[in-house]
Amino acid sequence: MNRLDHFFATLLWLLGILVVAGITHIVAIFALPEITARDTYARIWGFAKPGQVAVLPPARPDKQAMPFADPALVQSVCPYDLAEGGLRLHADVEADKPLSLSFRTSAGQVFYSMSDLAAQQGKMDVVVLTPSQLEIVEADDDDDDPSQDLRLIAPETKGFVIISAFAAHPSEKADAEDSAKSVTCAVEPVAQD
Amino acid sequence: MSLGTAIVTRSPFFAHASILGKFLSACSLGVLLGLFVTIVEIQRGSGFAAIEAGPWTGWPRSEVSEIDPYTRAILVYSGKISLSESEAMSFVAHGDSDGGEFDPACDYVMKGAMPPARYWTVTLLSPTGEFIANAADRQGFTSSEVLRASDGQFEITLSRHARPGNWLPLGQASKFILVLRFYDSELGSPAAALDAAHMPMLVRGHCQ
Repeated sequence: MNRLDHFFATLLWLLGILVVAGITHIVAIFALPEITARDTYARIWGFAKPGQVAVLPPARPDKQAMPFADPALVQSVCPYDLAEGGLRLHADVEADKPLSLSFRTSAGQVFYSMSDLAAQQGKMDVVVLTPSQLEIVEADDDDDDPSQDLRLIAPETKGFVIISAFAAHPSEKADAEDSAKSVTCAVEPVAQD
Repeated sequence: MSLGTAIVTRSPFFAHASILGKFLSACSLGVLLGLFVTIVEIQRGSGFAAIEAGPWTGWPRSEVSEIDPYTRAILVYSGKISLSESEAMSFVAHGDSDGGEFDPACDYVMKGAMPPARYWTVTLLSPTGEFIANAADRQGFTSSEVLRASDGQFEITLSRHARPGNWLPLGQASKFILVLRFYDSELGSPAAALDAAHMPMLVRGHCQ
């Protein structure tokens, strides 16, 4: 009898370990991206101020802004904080100069991305807004003259945009840097009534 | 004597201490086991969303927020979701087409089919994603700069020693990986054909 009790008590104890291990595992899997990404992307905020575009330093064997960089890309970053208004991003697109934009949360998660193939009349105009800012902007819309802007709702107020310009040859690096730099990124006040 | 009477016959303090001890040991061992399993899973696994095609392992270009938490944790932990990853569909190779791990003492040739894309790049990196220093200051090739035969085919040779044609120097790396990225491709769509026959081969050559 005593032996059986001991057996069940041990079994219960082992089951307890498994349950705790399972919970820990699930929590760790969900928490890990947040923790590691926050660490990585905290550096982004050191490169530029909200509403400014800054070209990331080119990666070198001894010094890299981010791991797994593609040496053929010249990238710039525009952090934003929607608490002060919407973010307006404008890029002029030239033929044979690939350019892409990715819109990310502060932890680096992409919520929208587009390339120059989606440009209209050689331009990319994107406005990033919070849901309440979008309501205000839409209320002011003129039905006869619809806006050509692409409006995106950001899942968080803080985030950043990564602008990537592709250099097919090393000699095109300077051109790619120019196009990564030429993108403008500005805080656009949203009229609060 | 049952467990209940055993606890009653002992002093209440020791009974509580023993239950508390079991509870605490189960919790701490459980946490350790859970973390251990997580670390092993993340370092060895490639996630449910990974696609295998010959020596290449790829992840769909879909927005990171839509992929399963395992894949996301693995990609973020390894750093493979970095700045260029949302723009491109990426594939990583840790070894050759025969399944052998890369050995920097050997030459490797990358050749064969390339899936259609607006442009692609191949980059030589350390397993943690750093560039590998080399005298030629070359980290990879783009689809535009690679030298091709008259039929459009190409070969890229990975070697420590200078090679004619498209030479990707291995430098003094002790370990390396290859990353293949396709920009503006249709590979992210479920209909895309992704198997070893549609991806370049990695053939091991002479070893020293």
